[in-house]
Amino acid sequence: MGVVRFLVKRVVSIIITTAAIIAVGYSLMRLAPGSYFSSTTIGSQMGQLAVQNPRLAEQYEHMFEARYGLNEPMWKQIFGYIWHLFTFNFGNSFENPSAPIITQLRSAFPISFELAFGAVLLAVLVGIPLGVLAALKRNTWIDQMLTTLSLMGNAVPSFVLAVFMVLLFGVWWQGVLPINGWGQWQDAVLPIIALGLGNVGSITRYMRSSLIEALRQDHIRTAEAKGVKYWPIIFKHAMRNSMTALITVVGPMFAFSVVNTIFVEQIFSIPGMGSLMAPAFQADDYPLAMAEIYILCLLVMVMNLLVDLGYAVFDPRVKLE
Amino acid sequence: MAIARIAVNGVAPARRRSQLAMAWGRYKKDRLAVVGLAWVILFLVIGIIGPWIAPYNYATTNFLTANQGPTWQHIMGTDNLGHDMFSEILWSVQNALEVALGATLISFIVGVALGLWAGLKGGWADMVVMRLVDFMFAFPTFFMDLILVTKFGRGMGPILFAIGITGWAGYARLIRSLVLGMRNGEMVEAARALGATQPHIMRKYLFPNVMNNMIVALAFGIPGDLTVMAGLSVVGMGLRPPLPSFGNMIAAAGSNMLGYPWLMYFPAGIFALTLLAFLFVADGLQEALNPKGGF
Repeated sequence: MGVVRFLVKRVVSIIITTAAIIAVGYSLMRLAPGSYFSSTTIGSQMGQLAVQNPRLAEQYEHMFEARYGLNEPMWKQIFGYIWHLFTFNFGNSFENPSAPIITQLRSAFPISFELAFGAVLLAVLVGIPLGVLAALKRNTWIDQMLTTLSLMGNAVPSFVLAVFMVLLFGVWWQGVLPINGWGQWQDAVLPIIALGLGNVGSITRYMRSSLIEALRQDHIRTAEAKGVKYWPIIFKHAMRNSMTALITVVGPMFAFSVVNTIFVEQIFSIPGMGSLMAPAFQADDYPLAMAEIYILCLLVMVMNLLVDLGYAVFDPRVKLE
Repeated sequence: MAIARIAVNGVAPARRRSQLAMAWGRYKKDRLAVVGLAWVILFLVIGIIGPWIAPYNYATTNFLTANQGPTWQHIMGTDNLGHDMFSEILWSVQNALEVALGATLISFIVGVALGLWAGLKGGWADMVVMRLVDFMFAFPTFFMDLILVTKFGRGMGPILFAIGITGWAGYARLIRSLVLGMRNGEMVEAARALGATQPHIMRKYLFPNVMNNMIVALAFGIPGDLTVMAGLSVVGMGLRPPLPSFGNMIAAAGSNMLGYPWLMYFPAGIFALTLLAFLFVADGLQEALNPKGGF
């Protein structure tokens, strides 16, 4: 019962949030300079027409506005647009009118998802052992080095790391790993590392502090007193507790990785959401830009919902509200 | 108090060290934080005097010396338009600082105002603010930055405003939780029993106690905003050239890497070091100001 109520509440809040984002985005972009008629494909021809036959050009524009409802009141346009996005009817982009946005997204989305997912997976696989190591060797040089390194991983943004990697593998160790393109599995290695290092740092630090906390608990001392061996204590008694709460760290991490795929794809020239988004914003291609933002926000929110559900599944003490 | 000050057996009592001195004592122990602080101070100084010591203007182009490696004339080389990279970096520091400090200040003011209001007033005010905070946390605010920059342009002001106005949620949530924790605490109750007015309580009791947390939050906020600003450039929506910024230089360096790697060494290196320095300072401050642990 609780789960159903929780789900309904969260889905409603996701709908309201996305609708608000779309409304703000649409109204701001509608008022911003640039429209279909100023896009590179149509702009020059319309300019020519406006010189040769201004009346016809004007008529043409009116027809276009009527066709797409741009002469209707703003609130109607906004609600219409929200409905269209909710039904995944994105229309065509300004710059590339022949291909519907949905087909562009269909090829780009899985790539970005793989990268973001890979970055989180890498962080979990590498971060947990490092965090455990740091916690078990706390206040030694290993701990200090790991803590400093993880802080550094947090501090340096993914796009700077990506540029450094291009330098490493494009100039110094040429040919070891590909630095641009997409198609074979090696192409994903560097982007995922660039995306994931910051996350590795977060998980390492989280794991370290939570394990240190867990090792201070009474049940650990009891286990020790009973004569449980060292590693079973760590794995079975201490780590279990920190593992469940780890899920709450993963949610924000995924959102962070989704944003960063935009930068990293840009630098490694990977045909994902990011490499669609940057030109879309630069060319005032609003339909494509809004569709991208909508999809990525939706992805982040759905992931967060799944994370919260997972948390309740793994930790029976957590009540969904 | 007066009695406690009287010297016992002619020995002057050890002067109590102030909170600030104690915090500095703890801060000094963290070597990385001290090094970071030195770099941050250097960065601030360059942010102020950079344009005066820059050998060239940021907009000066010279095609005869384009794409040169580091020489005595251009100690960090030149880019494809013949901009002197050293001067570009000096100017970028100023731009970066203006945007990052300004944006952080906006976020901070909005966040503190809303957080205080929510925490003190409670009831519907609290609910409205917290719904807003939830909204801001539900999606990556970077997308909202992109939309705002599209609408208002790629100048210093719009970028500063966009980053500032989307970043307040964390501060609001933090200060609200701190205020809620204290509002019904014994200290405030005692003050109220003594007849202190609400503004007096806010000024003398609540504010000093949230100060430390606020400073730490600000110290983490500045590098965050620097990163967002550079991120906007990577997507091509950062400061409009010829205004120099670290993001623009880093984004441009990626494509010129094979031929002209020095275009990347200096901007990306300095930017990374700066972020690290800010983070070390923030980390050090956290340890120094909250000996109990994080916020």
